[in-house]
Amino acid sequence: MADALVYLYAVTDADAAEPAAPGGVDDAPVRRVVAGALAAVVSSVDAVRFGEEALQRSLEDLQWLERAARAHHEVVAAAAESGPVAPVRLATVYHDDQSVRALLHERAADFRAALDRVRGRVEWGVKAFAAPTADDTADAGAAPGSGDGSARPGTSYLLRRRAERDRAGTRLEAATAAAEALHRELTDLAVANRRYEPQDPRLSGHREPMVLNAAYLVDEVGGDALRELVATRADGPLQLELTGPWAPYSFAALEDS
Amino acid sequence: MTLAADREVALVDLLDRLLAGGVVISGDITISLADVDLVHVSLRALISSVSTLVEP
Amino acid sequence: MTRVPERLELDPDAVGRDLGRLVLTIVELVRQLMERQAIRRVEAGDLPDETVERLGLGLMRLDEAMTELREHFGLRAEDLNIDLGPLGSLLPRQPDG
Repeated sequence: MADALVYLYAVTDADAAEPAAPGGVDDAPVRRVVAGALAAVVSSVDAVRFGEEALQRSLEDLQWLERAARAHHEVVAAAAESGPVAPVRLATVYHDDQSVRALLHERAADFRAALDRVRGRVEWGVKAFAAPTADDTADAGAAPGSGDGSARPGTSYLLRRRAERDRAGTRLEAATAAAEALHRELTDLAVANRRYEPQDPRLSGHREPMVLNAAYLVDEVGGDALRELVATRADGPLQLELTGPWAPYSFAALEDS
Repeated sequence: MTLAADREVALVDLLDRLLAGGVVISGDITISLADVDLVHVSLRALISSVSTLVEP
Repeated sequence: MTRVPERLELDPDAVGRDLGRLVLTIVELVRQLMERQAIRRVEAGDLPDETVERLGLGLMRLDEAMTELREHFGLRAEDLNIDLGPLGSLLPRQPDG
């Protein structure tokens, strides 16, 4: 196929089974390119739609991005059923199978190290938010200009607003401190950890500020301990969300050269 | 261990993991009435001017 | 999941409210910024008491006026946060109230 490029999802051991993925990005069939002891999980994709310029524009289209990210994720998850996986970031595209084979040869040691790092381990995601309080919506209750019968209502208003902001600031500080403490404890349980930026509240769907967004690589024992620890912190200054188990996206992705 | 591969996965969590450097999306709004595009607002200009007003 | 809105389609029957929402969102942002700045000035302590009082009264009345306007358009505080898609909301998601 002259007008095709090769889209890379992940690298696995060569002796892993073919991933049972229904279809990948752009509904393209999923196959493998094998080189030595490694296999790349790939799809052939349209050269025009996945060329650099078109891809850049596509990545800016959230609807395209969502479809692609989910398709990519399903392929990676399917591959992870058969053994350790080194997932690759979204939109990693090569000219042809030969280029992919060359990649596997050149970076063989890196891929081997990545696969060894994640063998028998999974990733769990922990997100923490400041816990909501009645205060957050209670400002409506303070009727404007209300009722302390103050001789200086304007000044009272400003002082009240300042107090509200201060309280909210204190809550945020407490949540941040609790999140850092939790992260340290989780780090001790895990083989590796990685922190992400707090998510845009519009995307996360939470009003309260996010104070922790992290991924932890754990074996089975560590995973059980992690989940237990998160469960014990359910009430307190933090609201916690656990996601996973994930294929080790945060711990094996390689930068492409 | 079976790994989740279904729609329960939140897109925002996927994007954290799949994109280097996070999502950069430029959006524009066209405000229209009765199928007639009336006002085009460039969000980049609007957002950057707003954020310079908001001190850290 | 938020989709990038390409069009803010105003409904001719509800155009008043839609535009009202757009305008009020911007006014609310400015109101919050003003309030924050006023509090900073009060904390800095460089304003005479009378000035603080007038500043506070003005902001309080602005807050009341905003509440009335919102109610007039049938909007809650949360509505004044136009969904700009993945770029986020105009209003800072902070404990501003």
